[in-house]
Amino acid sequence: MKLDNSKTMNRRQFLIKSGWLAVGVTATASCSPIYSSLPALPSTDGPEWADAITWIQIMPNGKARFYCPRMEMGQGAPLGLSQVVAEELNLDQSDVECLLPDTQQIPRFRMTVGSQSILDFFDPVSRAAANLRENLRAMAAERTHYKPAQIKDAPGGFVLPDGQRKDYTTLVTDKPLLLTETRSIEDGLKIYSKNKNRNRRAIGNPWKHHELEAIVTGQPLYARDKSLPNMLYGQVLRPAVYGSKLINADVRDAKKMPGVTAVVVDKGANFIGVVTEHPSQLNAALDRLKLKWREPKARGQAELNDRLNVMRVRREDKFEHSLVSQGQMRQKPRPTHLSAAGYFETSFAAHAAMEPRAAVVSVKPKSTEVWCGSQDPFFVQRLVAKAIGYASDTVIVYPQRIGGGFGGRVPCQASVEAAILSKAVARPVRVAWDRETEFAHNYFQPRYSHYISASATREGVIDSWQHDFVSSPIITGLVPDNIAWIVDKVVADEGTARGSLLPYQVKNQSVRYSDIRTPIPIGAWRGLGSAPNTFAIESMIDDLAKAAQMDPLVFRLKNLPTTEKRLVKVFNRVAAMAKWGRELPEGVGLGIAGAIYKGESYAAVVAEVSIDATDKNLRVNKVWCAQDCGLIINPDQVENQIAGNIIWGCSLALKEQITFAAGQVEQSNFDDYEILRHNEAPEMEIGLIVSDEKPTGVGETALAPVAPAITNAIFAATGKRVRQLPINLESVFEVSETKG
Amino acid sequence: MKIVINNKQYPVPKDLEQISLLDFIRDTVQLKGTKFGCGEGLCGACTVHLDGEAVRACQQSVGDVVGHRVLTIEGLADTRPEAKYHPVQEAWIEESVPQCGYCQPGQIMAASALLNHTPNPSDEEIRDEMSGNLCRCGTYPRIQRAIRRASKDRYYETR
Repeated sequence: MKLDNSKTMNRRQFLIKSGWLAVGVTATASCSPIYSSLPALPSTDGPEWADAITWIQIMPNGKARFYCPRMEMGQGAPLGLSQVVAEELNLDQSDVECLLPDTQQIPRFRMTVGSQSILDFFDPVSRAAANLRENLRAMAAERTHYKPAQIKDAPGGFVLPDGQRKDYTTLVTDKPLLLTETRSIEDGLKIYSKNKNRNRRAIGNPWKHHELEAIVTGQPLYARDKSLPNMLYGQVLRPAVYGSKLINADVRDAKKMPGVTAVVVDKGANFIGVVTEHPSQLNAALDRLKLKWREPKARGQAELNDRLNVMRVRREDKFEHSLVSQGQMRQKPRPTHLSAAGYFETSFAAHAAMEPRAAVVSVKPKSTEVWCGSQDPFFVQRLVAKAIGYASDTVIVYPQRIGGGFGGRVPCQASVEAAILSKAVARPVRVAWDRETEFAHNYFQPRYSHYISASATREGVIDSWQHDFVSSPIITGLVPDNIAWIVDKVVADEGTARGSLLPYQVKNQSVRYSDIRTPIPIGAWRGLGSAPNTFAIESMIDDLAKAAQMDPLVFRLKNLPTTEKRLVKVFNRVAAMAKWGRELPEGVGLGIAGAIYKGESYAAVVAEVSIDATDKNLRVNKVWCAQDCGLIINPDQVENQIAGNIIWGCSLALKEQITFAAGQVEQSNFDDYEILRHNEAPEMEIGLIVSDEKPTGVGETALAPVAPAITNAIFAATGKRVRQLPINLESVFEVSETKG
Repeated sequence: MKIVINNKQYPVPKDLEQISLLDFIRDTVQLKGTKFGCGEGLCGACTVHLDGEAVRACQQSVGDVVGHRVLTIEGLADTRPEAKYHPVQEAWIEESVPQCGYCQPGQIMAASALLNHTPNPSDEEIRDEMSGNLCRCGTYPRIQRAIRRASKDRYYETR
């Protein structure tokens, strides 16, 4: 039995509202009393045909309106899916109006995460659009004496055998045309987007984003830019130490400050917020609050490191999950074999998106409106409804373009804060986080601790591989405390383990891990486990290649199974691009690494690094990347995503680290949490594999191999194996000096 | 007190004289193109021109800019009345620079200020001058290309 039937409810209500029930779409209504007692959960259900038909309409002007069920945060999925709509309907870009739908316009859709937008929505979007096209063709047939098969495609419509045009605008007159399940055409439905023999007009072309001009002219596109008449300004105080309880709040002085409309205290909910007439009055009022928090025994970095230490779990021999256990694992490698072993660590990290989150919420007696940027507007809808005690369907969320998501915007906490404050003052309230709040009170990428021991034959064939690692649950990281223990009993976190399966062929293999909860809030961060896990794996592969005295590329190719043709191809392509094996000056190294993202997208990266130990200077000169993500819908967008992954990978390799002291985040702004700056960005060259395979994700694929390519380049140049990210430059220079 | 933003005069209420230029632009003038990123002058999202030079609006108080001309992203295109957009904006469109787009008004204001004083910058000069503007999506390579493209525009021949 499916526990969560709110989706069905939602779709039904939507259909009633839009009158669709009358035209033949049916959905069963049911109501689960269990659901209302559960915490609000993210939207995880996959796209279904009954949903897809609600996404696209043909308007009386002959244009398509596309309510895109994917949020826009710079990854360009709505643009790519618009191209699919255009391809199926023979439309130009200017004839497709792509909208971010509000929660009333289309049924609930899955949160925009995991590079799934093209992967999972290409099919239903292309099918819905193709179906709409064939319905239009059938309408044209009804209105003429021709059969549908005689009516040929033409831009924006059809052409009849007599040469006469029959454009969509002549077929759709007074009301927008929608698809219904009863009109669905299945037999022989042609999906143009997938037809490689077709001269595709939209698929494969570098269309520009429909919001590009609005961005470069500074139009208000983001939640932070939203303003309502009569709007007030709110801010919520959160305790610096995680898990603190508010035990006393003296708000008398704060209330007397100029412009203060309300001070809202809910001790039970650990909530204290201030509302003022003007945003400039907020800080003065917040400063006057006298609060007493009961702080839990605070954890510092050392305690967290110990809790998330692979060696501790190895000693206790208590790994929660076994991913691979095959062949024979020996205590010691065979004496005839070459071996390598080592620890690898990566740090807690922050999303540090450029737009600190914000929301504008207007709570009225019977309905609520929310403007925010979230990767899951239907999750926000439920969170807000719960927070103010309203039914979910009375809350409308208007999703805005997101100023950087990267997994960090699944909930938009500011919307819940603004809702509570707006309800208290009965006026619209804006809550806009500052940078310090963004660093302190969002969730993080967890620390990873790995130990790998492996062996290879003297011919360079990997014989055994034992990989143990410890981190925290990521996908279920945001599950509320009261149900976390149940979740952890039944779920091995796939996000934590992402990228931990070896693409190489190894007979004797063991991969074990534990996903351990700590008080640190953890959630999705670009690529989830793929970057930390690939860093460990591809470093160890390099160590084995060294032990076998083989070229790192040759060693990799030798150990890839014949089934991994696509990974072999990107390795060979990137090696050719970077002129792998060329002579390099002293202090310069080339490193290579590759990875398969979610079993479907392939990327290989070469990095060239130069190290000057005397001047204490390390520079990533250039990064080459070859990627195979199947059919490319928009090469320009794909390249931009790969470039973003390369920059992000350099940033995590060289700079990013969140640390905790006394239960608090130690970093608060871009001076102590540095991300890669323009002058540190490498040159780059990107090669895309032309393919007609199923289109797969690009938003995170190229990230995983970047850091190990850089550290493998350092290894090549200096002989120093980097075991921790971010790279400790001092230790790299030390070894270089002794070597020199 | 009055200040000039995009060639228009705005009266400054007495109690707002000390607030940041950024807050004044966004919350009082209601021009939303200039973005808040860090509040400490570390990220460049709030870059505007003060008499043609790039400054961080979060680091100026409204009182500081009396007697100076403030130009925001919304006024940039008007500095080249013969075309729809400023050449830097055009180059940004041609190169499809943005991803999430949030930092881009600041990047464009920094780039146009750079080209104001150095119409034909070297790669090194671009890197140095643009390093105060963070982009988390990683559009730096395209920003480089767009600035080089804009620098070739006829607009800069006459400067």
